[in-house]
Amino acid sequence: MHARRPGKITSPVVSLSTSYVKLIPLGLIVGAVGLGVAFFMSLGSDNTLKRFSYSYLVTFCSLLSMCIGCLFFVTVHNLTRAGWGVTVRRIAEIIAMCTLPMFLLFMPILIPMFTGHADVYPWVEDNWTDGEPNEAFQRLKDTYLNVNWFGIRMVAYFTIWGLMAWSFFGASLRQDVTADPQLSRKMQRSATWKMIVLAATIVFSSFDLEMSLSPRWFSTMFPVYFFAGGVLSAFSVITLTSLLLQRSGRVTDEITVEHYHDLAKLMFAFVVFWGYIAFSQFMLIWYANLPEETFWFRCRMADTASTGWKYWSLLLLFGHLLIPILALMARTVRRNKTYLLFASIYLLVMHWIDHFWIIMPQYNIGSDNHITAATNPLMFNWLIDVPCAVGMIGIFVSIFCIVAADRPLVPLNDPRLEESLNYRNA
Amino acid sequence: MAHSHKPEKKKSKGPSSKLVSLVAQFDDPDSLVSACDRARREGYRKMDAYSPFPVHGIDDAIGIRRTRLPFFVLAIALCGCTFAWVLQYYVNSTDESPLFPGYKFFISGKPLGVAGIPANIPVMFELTVLSSAFAAFFGMWILNNLPRFANPLHRISRFRRATNDRFFLELNADDEKFNENRSRQQLEEWGATAIEECHLDTTDHAIPKGFKMAGVVLMFALLLPPALIYRAAGMPYPNPRLHVVPDMDWQDKFKTQTVGPNFSSDPLNPSYLFEDPQAMRRPVDNTIAREDYGMQFDEEFVNGFHGEAPSPETGGAGPNAAAAQDEVPAQPQVVEADWLKEFPSQVNVDVETIARGQQRFEIYCTPCHGYDGNGNGLVNERAVALNANGLAQWTTAKSLHDPAVKSQPVGRIFDTITHGRATMGPYKDQIPVKDRWAIVMYVRALQETGLAPPAAALPPSETAVEPK
Repeated sequence: MHARRPGKITSPVVSLSTSYVKLIPLGLIVGAVGLGVAFFMSLGSDNTLKRFSYSYLVTFCSLLSMCIGCLFFVTVHNLTRAGWGVTVRRIAEIIAMCTLPMFLLFMPILIPMFTGHADVYPWVEDNWTDGEPNEAFQRLKDTYLNVNWFGIRMVAYFTIWGLMAWSFFGASLRQDVTADPQLSRKMQRSATWKMIVLAATIVFSSFDLEMSLSPRWFSTMFPVYFFAGGVLSAFSVITLTSLLLQRSGRVTDEITVEHYHDLAKLMFAFVVFWGYIAFSQFMLIWYANLPEETFWFRCRMADTASTGWKYWSLLLLFGHLLIPILALMARTVRRNKTYLLFASIYLLVMHWIDHFWIIMPQYNIGSDNHITAATNPLMFNWLIDVPCAVGMIGIFVSIFCIVAADRPLVPLNDPRLEESLNYRNA
Repeated sequence: MAHSHKPEKKKSKGPSSKLVSLVAQFDDPDSLVSACDRARREGYRKMDAYSPFPVHGIDDAIGIRRTRLPFFVLAIALCGCTFAWVLQYYVNSTDESPLFPGYKFFISGKPLGVAGIPANIPVMFELTVLSSAFAAFFGMWILNNLPRFANPLHRISRFRRATNDRFFLELNADDEKFNENRSRQQLEEWGATAIEECHLDTTDHAIPKGFKMAGVVLMFALLLPPALIYRAAGMPYPNPRLHVVPDMDWQDKFKTQTVGPNFSSDPLNPSYLFEDPQAMRRPVDNTIAREDYGMQFDEEFVNGFHGEAPSPETGGAGPNAAAAQDEVPAQPQVVEADWLKEFPSQVNVDVETIARGQQRFEIYCTPCHGYDGNGNGLVNERAVALNANGLAQWTTAKSLHDPAVKSQPVGRIFDTITHGRATMGPYKDQIPVKDRWAIVMYVRALQETGLAPPAAALPPSETAVEPK
């Protein structure tokens, strides 16, 4: 028999206390150095701003989809009145709250667009072609894909995400003080319509941020693909953050092996879901074989030795789907914290590789939608992409520390805290 | 522990009744779990707990090992996945297999074999899910020794509340630690509110006679369906067949060799969708069959002649045009091409090609020219009869043993198949180039060895040869 734990946090410290003060400048320094190195190395390529922006966008989209995934987790947690994950919900709330500062990180992409740079999004140009010129079709798309309307939409997305995250985070923080169960009810009620708004913003933001890199291409499955990867990375980052906080003693026995077990189950589920969606998107296009759809995959499956994208796609198939399925299947593995630390980092790296696969092939797209011959068609450059990713992760850690500050990392007075602390997998 | 339920001893059921277990009732899940826990500590291993709902921690308390079911499910799921792929690969990507031939068809232009795996994945996925669901469901049955037709526990009326509001711990009599009196005392100590004995009736294990008879009758009854099927096989039946899915049998569609859509209600002034009223469309000009792709540059192989094309009068004659004239080489308006005298190098002159040619010949040529090439095919005989009555216009199918045909070079025969002659239509769209050459080769073989038509004057050496 296991004694039931009372629904109280017993650890003396469940916050970053003062260490966030040290972490913020550290993260910013890493960010400045990383981005500086990446930009310096981009000077050697044919179009510095374009090369740097592409690398930047890959990490930005990886991090943003991760934050949105956390926002989804918080929303669905409230929507289903879940009890098991109360103690890990706060970490998700903090990361979801980082969505709003992420808007500042989008500025290096957004501002050049308003000055007429079509380096990242080809439709910024007045007469973009993207493969076969089709005047009527392009003018039709211009009604949606134009800089002003894009800017308005971006402001709207980040405002909506920021407000939603803040309303959850704020109510949850208020509850730490007042212990008012009505706040939970309020969050549960509002989660209903917030979920619908979240779905709509995810759909359109994925169109805008990544699908419009190839303005002629369209796939209604793409937002689901974006979402699936984002939620998978969200569960990975929640697991990783919990493990790191627990290792450094910021959170002690509030997050038990049962919570990790459930997070790992969700990671496994979303690995499968990601694969399911990725294949659904691919197979419909592959089977229908319509030229206006296939080119996007054709350049990612290029068979020639000069483009490595075929191997990058296979890397995703094995590294993002088949290996994690087998690796996360066993119960003993899901309950092993050392193993999960490795698995969550691995899945986050794979998430980044996934976005690299979505974004980077557009860099060298020629007029006929084939990747033009280049010395390094795969584009991956250790000295540009890796420092850029490390730098942005550094900045993201700073943002996390600013948002978390010395606030509690576990809800202190949630009505379902007792349920969560005593949660056990059968 | 003082309570009203005295452990009432059931009347022994005679020497043929065996004590299976002691069943103790508990009033709440917590006391059940603690009793289980204590029983395990006392050394009991063979025991089971019964509860109306899942009780957390009971597995640990009784010491149940984690189930092996997940491994069975994984194994069966992998088998299902593999089976789905092998089946699809075998059926769709093999043509000549030892077991049974597959259907090696290109569907929607998708590649066969491993390259076409995306088309196979949905079935692989579904079969993986289905087989794991079955493995989980039936595996659970097997691991739980289900289905069981009778359980001695069901004889205890008190035990029925195990599905409602009472909790039971069963100590099995086979356990090493089991001692009826001591165990009973222990159960009382652990808080049992009632204790029952569970007896297995061992009086008579024999199966009743009626059951055996019924089993034999059933076995014979099972033979009936195959016997009926065997009897019905190949038997003509006067009634029309049953149409289970009628819309699959009578579809609203235009069939081959029929007239296409007509938009006019006036039968005298029809208005067809296409200029040519046929329902079937011809292939687009310059269409090349998949098998022939890449061959269009080998002109001699594709055309059957060197250099210049023959004049229009010879090739591609429509039905009834220049009937019976073009076979005569002496006609002045006919400009013959420089026909190939030998088979082109792309064609292997061997038994295999002739066998292929025979197979194709019997599909495409025999309806008119007959199996032995004498021009006595069923279509020809019927058409000749209609022609005699003035009901059809028909040029008699040529005997391939006619000296005029025998003297033709191979390229000329190839051209006849390609473009048709007189009533004979062109076969270039139906028969790939290589197969046309194979047919020519078979025709040559027929001419060398086949029965000669009675009127033909042939050297005696050739008439002596037996037909193939």
